[in-house]
Amino acid sequence: MGLERFDPSLATHDLIQDLKWSPALREEFVLNEAGVLDRYPLRQDERYAIETRDFRTLYDIGLHPYLGGQLARLIFGNEAGKGATVAVNKLVESLQGKGPVT
Amino acid sequence: MAEIRFAAGAPHAPGLIGLMQTAPGPVKDVVAHTYRSLGEAIASSAIDVLIIFANDHLANSRIRAYPDFLIGMAGEHRGPYEWFKPWIGCRDYTVKGAPDIAAALFGGMTKRGIRMFAQHENLKFDDNISVPVLLTDIEGSGVPIVPVLQNCTVPPIPDQHRCYAVGQALGDFIRNDLPADMRVGLLGSGGLSHEPGGSRYYFIDEDFDRWFLDLVASGDHDRLLRELTLERMEAAGSSGTAELLAWVVVLGAIGPRPGKSFGYAAHREFKCGVGAVQWDMDANQPKLRAAAE
Repeated sequence: MGLERFDPSLATHDLIQDLKWSPALREEFVLNEAGVLDRYPLRQDERYAIETRDFRTLYDIGLHPYLGGQLARLIFGNEAGKGATVAVNKLVESLQGKGPVT
Repeated sequence: MAEIRFAAGAPHAPGLIGLMQTAPGPVKDVVAHTYRSLGEAIASSAIDVLIIFANDHLANSRIRAYPDFLIGMAGEHRGPYEWFKPWIGCRDYTVKGAPDIAAALFGGMTKRGIRMFAQHENLKFDDNISVPVLLTDIEGSGVPIVPVLQNCTVPPIPDQHRCYAVGQALGDFIRNDLPADMRVGLLGSGGLSHEPGGSRYYFIDEDFDRWFLDLVASGDHDRLLRELTLERMEAAGSSGTAELLAWVVVLGAIGPRPGKSFGYAAHREFKCGVGAVQWDMDANQPKLRAAAE
């Protein structure tokens, strides 16, 4: 699973970039994820995949894998050896067949 | 004629800082030897500036407006960018910039038909610049840097031929546009095999890594350009291994010459193979001068 399905038009790419670049948006994402998602022109299947932490589907519809790894860290944790390890393991679990990993 | 007096390629895996405590002794030894040696070489080469090419990792630009090369023109380069700090597990740093050289680089590459972008604001650095800066103590050396963040992961990716041509233009710029007595260092930051964000996140392709290190140390650039394809790098780790293209830019600038490796290590928690090469800037001088003329 590489770059062959990459679709740069997905709004999820912008969501991830904005979350990386804005501590305030990250805080809001934790408190009111739906409210943040409402601001992005997400496709229905794209939004549902984010809500259910289904990275496999996100990759299938075109999410760039590098940003997929960062989305996992934004959701599950970003600290070396701690939350970031949880994020990597959840991501791999989803991509290797489980799909949603909520 | 300005001279390139230091040239190397080295990985920047974040685990080399934040996860070092998980590594067994022999792995720690390779990492310590590699970056200590590079740091000493940077200091002893008495360079006036270090130009670092590295994967941008989608840190600075939106994916639909993504530059292939982005030059940092700031007078000071501060890192890491806030969100990456806990992930790398590193301290803050500030390195001197070289705005005049960065501006000359931008103009010189434009003049040579190479489209680059440049910005005065501090670029957002993740592991790409932070790890080599901290592990080789560039901050302590006082050597100013010019970071050039490149697209190694957003299709269409400039391939090995394009990156080598960019490197050749870079070498021409250094030799002909910079002041005659200037000593320049080049570092390609990235690799070795890894697949960040992929289903094989923990995969390290040791065979590929050893093949690559031997190849770039051999100085055989014809073979390098034939065999180091995007397809081969993607097979060795999608969305990650292709950042070895930063090394290819450096190789284009210095031309065929041998290099020395500092050993190789693979540690699962790093999620990336580790090995570096420093090229011999005193080798092949008459042959390269003749080729340049």
